[in-house]
Amino acid sequence: MASKTAEHEDTHAPEIVDQEMVDEEIPEIDPNKIQILPGASEDGTAASFRILQEDHTLGNALRYVIMKNPEVEFCGYSIPHPSEAAMNLRIQTYGEITAVQALEKGLDDLVDLCDVVESKFRSAIDKGDYETTQPIDN
Amino acid sequence: MNRESFLPPSTQGSSSAAAAGRAYQPTQAITYLCANCAAPNTLTRSDPVRCRECGHRVLYKQRTRRMVQFEAR
Amino acid sequence: MAEKKPRNRVGIEADRVTDVSSTDFPGYYPGEDHSWNLEKFQENLKIHIEYISELNAEFDLIGVDASIANAFRRIMISEIPTLAIEYVYIENNTSIIQDEVLAHRLGLIPLKANPDYLRWFKKDDPDFEPTDYDTVVLQLSAKCTANPNAPEGTTDPKLLYNNAHVYARDIVYEPQGRQSEWFPEGIAATNPDILIAKLRPGQEIDLTMHCILGIGQDHAKFSPVATASYRLLPTIDIIGEPITGELAKKFRSCFPKGVISINSKGEAVVKDARKDTVSREVLRHPEFEGRVRLGRQRDHFIYTVESTGAMTPDEIFLKSVQLLKKKCQILRKFNLAA
Repeated sequence: MASKTAEHEDTHAPEIVDQEMVDEEIPEIDPNKIQILPGASEDGTAASFRILQEDHTLGNALRYVIMKNPEVEFCGYSIPHPSEAAMNLRIQTYGEITAVQALEKGLDDLVDLCDVVESKFRSAIDKGDYETTQPIDN
Repeated sequence: MNRESFLPPSTQGSSSAAAAGRAYQPTQAITYLCANCAAPNTLTRSDPVRCRECGHRVLYKQRTRRMVQFEAR
Repeated sequence: MAEKKPRNRVGIEADRVTDVSSTDFPGYYPGEDHSWNLEKFQENLKIHIEYISELNAEFDLIGVDASIANAFRRIMISEIPTLAIEYVYIENNTSIIQDEVLAHRLGLIPLKANPDYLRWFKKDDPDFEPTDYDTVVLQLSAKCTANPNAPEGTTDPKLLYNNAHVYARDIVYEPQGRQSEWFPEGIAATNPDILIAKLRPGQEIDLTMHCILGIGQDHAKFSPVATASYRLLPTIDIIGEPITGELAKKFRSCFPKGVISINSKGEAVVKDARKDTVSREVLRHPEFEGRVRLGRQRDHFIYTVESTGAMTPDEIFLKSVQLLKKKCQILRKFNLAA
């Protein structure tokens, strides 16, 4: 039964729960969440990564931003088997940067992109320039 | 096995309940629900299967009172 | 073709679509810079909100790639945590609806509760004990009896019996520990009129439910949306000579109402391509051959989000953006260079 109550510290106030609890909530991340697959080139300019618990959602978005990098010659992702919750990502660069650097830049760019989308959406909401009822089709 | 070859358990030689290894039990009364009027009927073994309220001859055994856990999936 | 077709245009012909894939990558167009540029992205990205009601929203994301738009859509459907009934402890159920079916029905009821105030229930840990941090307790008990005051001759079960119908509104929330502080408005079904079961005199339902956080990937009951989808903005270009007179009327009738209008000169003009369903009816008529070009704008996504009621649709979209960001940040924490 859930009637068993957890020990509460008094510092846990509901007002701050919003962000605080979400932050502390980041669960123990799997240490093998991302691995470099065997067969990467000696100089690190070509490598494949295996990312666990990810799918097309991150795979395709990440592929897109990494392909936007002019130093990247090739980037592609695949989900090798539908019953395995894993996504493989392949990056090959022209040689000026390593595949890991390309991945890191891709992740950073995607974070920036999300920030822009979020702030633009919020300002569109704040502007309030929209209907609040669903128009009836006729 | 045809129907005729069935033999009810023999109580010969040990005709008493105690001798058969059964503990003494007062006549057990079980509550059934009438299928017609839902009235509870407490019957013992010798009672006729019949609702005391409406005379209906179909009675249901009550559901177990044991809690059952299910996953809502 | 007379004028140059814009790059961000998907062509729609009678029997095929053309130019479906994105081309905004470095090296695609010689001498052009298509590398990732945050300032440029910020400048080009436009968000237009058509409407946001309590449960529905339609808004446009203009200037993003399909891979990004699709990520938001997928996250909205399957990765935003919400609260749903997961465990059902049945003390009694003599209704005609079987225990497991009843449990399944209960699980699908959307609940109104802010998931930010709850933590994850660790299902895979056998020693995990539910607490007020991660489990919400609901109760449902109903017993049907005959109504002795029922009007003579009625056949309406609602009049003949008491509690003949069990609805979602009959679910009672039982706050545990400090939950009454976190959920001062209580926790209830978003729609009180969901029919759970029908009873007849003598039948009874008595059960306790435990609700936990989950995501749509695990079970659809945890999805905060009924649907979250996008479509590309349709485009209609009348090319060459204007379409006039009777032909203009016929042209107009090839599209849904409000898409094409006829101006004072009697010419057919595109009034609102957004309303077009892209049925391609015009392409079936030889008289319009070469006079119209149908298409879709590849970077203009019209999202339609229908919330189940746990959150507002705009909240759901914002959460999807934050979640994609968080995914990246988690991966960024790994030191792969070592």
